[in-house]
Amino acid sequence: MTAASASPWRARLGAHQRLLLALGSFALPLLLWCAVSYLPFVWHPQVMVEQPGGVDYFQPGLRVDAADFREQVAAMQRAHLPLPTGTPANPIYLPAPHQVAQALLTGFFTAPEQPGAPWLHESLWHSIQIIFWGFLVSSALGVPLGIVAGTWRLAGRLTEPFVEFFRYLPAPAFGALAVAVLGIYDGPKIAIIVIGTFFQQVLIIANSTRQLERTLIEAARTMGARGPRLLWRVVLPGILPALYRDQRVLLGWAWTYLIVAELIGTSSGITFFITQQARYQHFEQVYAAIILIGVIGFGSDLLLARLGRKLFPWDAPQQLA
Amino acid sequence: MPQSLAPKLPRRVFMRTAVCAAALGASMFAQAAEPLKVGYSDWPGWVAWQVAIDKNWFKEAGVDVKFEWFDYSASMDAFSAGKLDAVFMTNGDTLVTGAGGAKAMMVLVTDYSNGNDMILAKPGINSITDLKGKKVAVEVGLVEHLLLRNAMKKAGMKAGDISIVNAKTNELPQVFASKDIAAVGAWQPVAGQALKAVPGSKAILSSSDEPGLIYDVLGVNPASLKARRADWVKVVKLWDRVVAYVNDPKTQPDAVKIMAARSGISPAEYLPLLKGTRLLSLEEGRKALVKGADYKSLYGSSEVANTFNWYNKVYSYSQNVDSYIDASLSNEK
Repeated sequence: MTAASASPWRARLGAHQRLLLALGSFALPLLLWCAVSYLPFVWHPQVMVEQPGGVDYFQPGLRVDAADFREQVAAMQRAHLPLPTGTPANPIYLPAPHQVAQALLTGFFTAPEQPGAPWLHESLWHSIQIIFWGFLVSSALGVPLGIVAGTWRLAGRLTEPFVEFFRYLPAPAFGALAVAVLGIYDGPKIAIIVIGTFFQQVLIIANSTRQLERTLIEAARTMGARGPRLLWRVVLPGILPALYRDQRVLLGWAWTYLIVAELIGTSSGITFFITQQARYQHFEQVYAAIILIGVIGFGSDLLLARLGRKLFPWDAPQQLA
Repeated sequence: MPQSLAPKLPRRVFMRTAVCAAALGASMFAQAAEPLKVGYSDWPGWVAWQVAIDKNWFKEAGVDVKFEWFDYSASMDAFSAGKLDAVFMTNGDTLVTGAGGAKAMMVLVTDYSNGNDMILAKPGINSITDLKGKKVAVEVGLVEHLLLRNAMKKAGMKAGDISIVNAKTNELPQVFASKDIAAVGAWQPVAGQALKAVPGSKAILSSSDEPGLIYDVLGVNPASLKARRADWVKVVKLWDRVVAYVNDPKTQPDAVKIMAARSGISPAEYLPLLKGTRLLSLEEGRKALVKGADYKSLYGSSEVANTFNWYNKVYSYSQNVDSYIDASLSNEK
C-alpha cells in the first residue's frame, strides 16, 4: 500500500466505485426533488383547492397560500357556510418528477396539435443543427487564429488585446444587428453562437498553445524548423490533446448561448417550446425540455471524452476525464 | 465568413457554390415572385389568421403570403430591420416603430382589446381612486401604463397620485405577490397568473371599460404597399372570412382548436383569451377607420397613444398620426 492511497482524500478509485459515485451524484438531487415533491411535511407551502365551499373566490385547482386557506376555513366556520377542501401543494413552478417524466413522454409520442408544426424531436434536431454550425464556423476561424496567436508573440500582441475587449461584449446584444444583416431565420441565431464562442476560443487556445514546452520549440528551431513547418510538425502535434480538451469545454460554452440565440428572429427550435410553455406556466414541459438539453449536452461530452481517450492514450488528463 | 474557406475547397465545389450564389442573387431581384412576408405573434386577434393559413385560404384568394411566427418584440425588430413586408402590432407600437425609422401603414384593424388588458388590485382595493398614495407596478411605456394613466385622468387624479414601479410584464405575477405593491397592470395570459398569485385579488379596471384604447392592426411597409397594393387588398379582404369562422358558433370550436394549437395550449385554456379580444369584421373596422377624436376611431386612439409615448419620452418627436393610416384598402368593396 502506497502513502497516497492511505489518505482517503487522494485514494485511487476503481472503475466500479467511480460509476457508483457518478450515479450517486445524479441520485442525490433527484432524491431531494422527490422528497420536496412527495413528502407534504417537507415544504408544500400552498393548498390546491378541491371544493371551494362557501369561499367566493376559490375555484377547483386554484393554489392559495396555506395560511390564507386556514383563514378562509375559519371564516367559513364562523359564518356556518360549507368549508372548502384542498390538498397541500407546491408552487406551480415546482412540478413533481413524475409530471416532468410524463411531459417528456407525451412530448415524444404525441403528434403536435397544429398540423405541420415540428415534433419535439424535430425542434431539438433544429437546435442541434444551430449549435453544430455555430461551433463549426467559430472553430474554423478561432482555432487557427488561437494557435497562431499562441505560437508567435507578434501575432498574439496584435490580436489578443482586441479579442480580450470584445469577449466582454454580451453576444445577445448583437441580436438586432444580426437580424438586420443575416435575415430572420437561422443565420442570426448561428451568428450569436459564433459571437458568444469565438472570442473565448481564441484566448483559450492561444493560452493552451503557449503552455507547450518551450524546449520542444527551441530544439526544433535549432534543427532548422521555421514558419509553417514548425507549426505543422511541432506545435500542432504538441498541443493536439490540449486542443481537444479545450474544444470540449468550448462546445459546452456554445450550448449555453442556444436559448438567447434562438430567441432572435422567427421562433424555432427547443427555445420556442420552452418560452411558449413557460408563458402559460406549463412548467413540467419546461423542465422536460431543459432536461433534454442537459442529456444531449452531457451525452455528447461523454462520447467525446471516450473518443479522446482512444485518440490520445498518452495524455494523462484525457484518461481521467 | 464562409468565403475565407473557399480557397481550400476543391475548385469544382467552389464553382458550383458560386453559381448557386449567383442564382440566389438573381432570384432576389425577381421581387414579384416572392411571397408577402408577414410576422405574427401570440395575440388572439393575430393567431386567428392561423385559420386562413391552415385552410389554404390565401391560395384560394390568389395571393402568395408567408406568415412567420415570432415573439412579439422580435417580430417588430425583424420588421424594423426590413426583413418583413408587414407585421401585426398595436397602434401605439406602430407609432413607436415608425418613430424609430421603420414606418408601417395601418391598413387593417384586426381587433381591440376587450378585457384582456387589466389593472389588478389586492383585496380591499375596489377602484382606481383607492390606489392614491400606493405603489402600482407596470411595464413603463406599454399599454397597461397607458390604460392606468387614462383611468387616472378620468377619475381626476394627478400623475403623482400613484407611484409607478417599472417591472417586466412576464414577472408581474411575482411582483404582485410582494407586500408593498398594491396593484399591477398586465395582459393575458400573464394577468390570469397574477390573479392566481394573489388570492382574492381582482381586476378593478380592464380594457373592456375603455374599448378602443388599444387597437391591433396590420402594419405594412409603405414600399411593399405601393408595389403590391392589389395583393394586400386580397389579404385584407380575407379577414372577413376569418372573423366569420371564429365568431360563428358552429365553426368556433374548430377555430379555437387551431388557434390553441398555434399557441401550444389546450382549447379550454384558450377560449377565455379569445373572449377578451373583440375581433372586428371589415365593416366594423371601417367604422374605426373614420376620422374621429375619441376611442371609437383609430385616429383618436392613436393620437392618445402618440401623446402618451411622447410624454413618456418613448420617442422625442410627436408623430403625425394621419400619415400612418391608410383606410383605402379596408374601404375597397
